[in-house]
Amino acid sequence: MMALAGFLVGFGTRLGSGCTSGHGVCGLPRFSKRSFIATGVFMGFGILTVAVLGSLG
Amino acid sequence: MNFIISFVLGFIFSIGLSISGMVNPNKVIGFLDLLGDWDPDLIFVMGGAAGLNFITFRFVLKRPNPLIEQSFNLPSSTIVDSRLVIGSILFGIGWGIGGICPGPGIANLFTLKAEPIVFVAFMIIGMLSFKWFDKLIERENNE
Repeated sequence: MMALAGFLVGFGTRLGSGCTSGHGVCGLPRFSKRSFIATGVFMGFGILTVAVLGSLG
Repeated sequence: MNFIISFVLGFIFSIGLSISGMVNPNKVIGFLDLLGDWDPDLIFVMGGAAGLNFITFRFVLKRPNPLIEQSFNLPSSTIVDSRLVIGSILFGIGWGIGGICPGPGIANLFTLKAEPIVFVAFMIIGMLSFKWFDKLIERENNE
């Protein structure tokens, strides 16, 4: 599972041009439209993923 | 000298990640468990870091260059494209599965445990795969 997580994080941060540090900590304070969207999307999918994995037990 | 400064900054960042619990996957998953057993603590990490920079960037970015570099290296794109969205989706899913993002992943390597090593190894594979995937797309667009 860590392998899958690592792969998705590696591929996703490059495709999306950033992560919690890039978009969250640096992009939001610059009022970057891209960062607002990116942060919203990855937060949403993080929450969704945990919810789904949780209900699968 | 720049090397020393970079090292110190990395060190400070790492301490912040460790103290806040960002390096602890259970803490992160607890934070993302909004619909279940929500642990709100990590909101102070993003909130604190981003909040601080809402103030500091106003002054820092007015300067001609950073303290130890010739120029700022800021992304200039404003396009919200499918790459941004799909990339963020993939990152979000990976983050939800592992409870780790790149910074904490690397910081955790020093615990010499199996999970962080596997995570970082596959993160690198993922990043390299993107490079390969990107070249593939470019070649297709040029044909």
